[in-house]
Amino acid sequence: MAEDYYPWGGEFTACSPKGSVGVVLLNIQYTPPQSVAIYGRLKTENIGIEKIVANTISNPNIRFLVICGDDIRGHRSGSSLLALHKNGIDSNHRIIGAPGAIPYIENLEEEAIKRFQKQITIVDLMGEKEKIDSIIADLTNGAPSSYGESYIAIRIKPKMTVSLTDKRALHSKIVISYLGKVKKRGV
Amino acid sequence: MFSFTKEQQVFEISGVTIGGQPGMYPTVVFGGVFFKGEPDFDDAKRHIQTVLDISKHTGTPFIPDFFIRKVEFIQPIISFIEKVIPRKYPFSIDIIEPSIKVETLIHLAEKKLLSRTIYNSIHIGITKEEIEVLQNNTPAMAIVVAFNPKNKSPDGKIEVLETGAYLTERGLLEIAYNLDIEKILVDTAALAPGENSGAAIAAIPVIKEEYGLPTGCAIHNVVEKSRWLNDFPLAKKTVDVASNINIPLFGGDYAIFGPIENAGLVIPLIAWQDILVSEYAENYFGITPVASHPRRKLLK
Repeated sequence: MAEDYYPWGGEFTACSPKGSVGVVLLNIQYTPPQSVAIYGRLKTENIGIEKIVANTISNPNIRFLVICGDDIRGHRSGSSLLALHKNGIDSNHRIIGAPGAIPYIENLEEEAIKRFQKQITIVDLMGEKEKIDSIIADLTNGAPSSYGESYIAIRIKPKMTVSLTDKRALHSKIVISYLGKVKKRGV
Repeated sequence: MFSFTKEQQVFEISGVTIGGQPGMYPTVVFGGVFFKGEPDFDDAKRHIQTVLDISKHTGTPFIPDFFIRKVEFIQPIISFIEKVIPRKYPFSIDIIEPSIKVETLIHLAEKKLLSRTIYNSIHIGITKEEIEVLQNNTPAMAIVVAFNPKNKSPDGKIEVLETGAYLTERGLLEIAYNLDIEKILVDTAALAPGENSGAAIAAIPVIKEEYGLPTGCAIHNVVEKSRWLNDFPLAKKTVDVASNINIPLFGGDYAIFGPIENAGLVIPLIAWQDILVSEYAENYFGITPVASHPRRKLLK
């Protein structure tokens, strides 16, 4: 089930497939209730955020993303996720206004980001410690219905870019002799 | 085990040598210090002393890699470096936040420590302010991380080094050279399982043949992110340590491991692997190990 809804692997736990809430855990020791759709840790401001977007839009029942815990030092992943939702990305694929060190979204199409922005309401609970459970309960109880459009499942398939005739070669740029001597291919 | 056609550069920093053809110089290990929580200086001092002794025993050069996670840690950590690290010994500073990087560089310059500093790291997230400060406060050596979020293959890693892959205005190597940093170590950017983690190892011989620069990575990060290993705690520790042999086996020059507590396992393991590589490299390629190499120190 988790694999159908959430095509991108990562550090997450899938709970209730019909749940309307996803929970992003930053620096916090907290386990959300089983009523949420999915929860997991966010570490990096690039690949981590891409996974959240991909796994959120793959389940149209998810309407809220609750971000909780203190932001990750240096990466500023929580704030970068907020910035992505608010501003999107620029022509270099950098998240506009993101404070993280390397906030680049390289594996998602514009369409996926727009869908994420429309489908999801972000609930920023960074720094909040006491009310997380009650806010999640309120969101779950008063949830809007499904987004109403079918899910978008993005799968990344490894690209086979070269056909190697030399089976000893490790990579298309180099040739390795049977003794282990490395040289550039074609030189 | 490999030997490269491209001439391999060898860099020296405060008595530690890194790079060259496999089998000539020992693999250098960087061990993370102050990775989590508040810095525990007494504990770090004890560990560093122990590790320097192990390093002396095997001949495997050790470089402490200091994490500086908060602005308020900059001064105490630099004071610690001044007091505890031998005066002619190198160290690296490992910082994520650009503003902390900038401030640390200025402090290191004031204390005249830049000639012993390995800057960890230059990557596609480099800021204009960071470049400006690096111009006037230039460390002797820098690690350039070949992380390309768009293409995690060896080709993508070369693309960021060469052109910046449209993520930076110039290639990362050009940025470093323009800053007059001539001693560059390439980090092949080990990523989590599922993110082409093997490319960090495959890229080592590719990048060494392309540029001749000393190359390595923090392959233990892949182990940390292999959650399934949590079900096998003993194996996890073993794999965490053992993962490092991939680097010398594929011709690499340095391994970044963490935390420093693992040094007692990592250093003998790397020394063992260096001996294996050196025996083959000398037999087939005529590469004689230097006098400090584990093969010459430990096999008598």
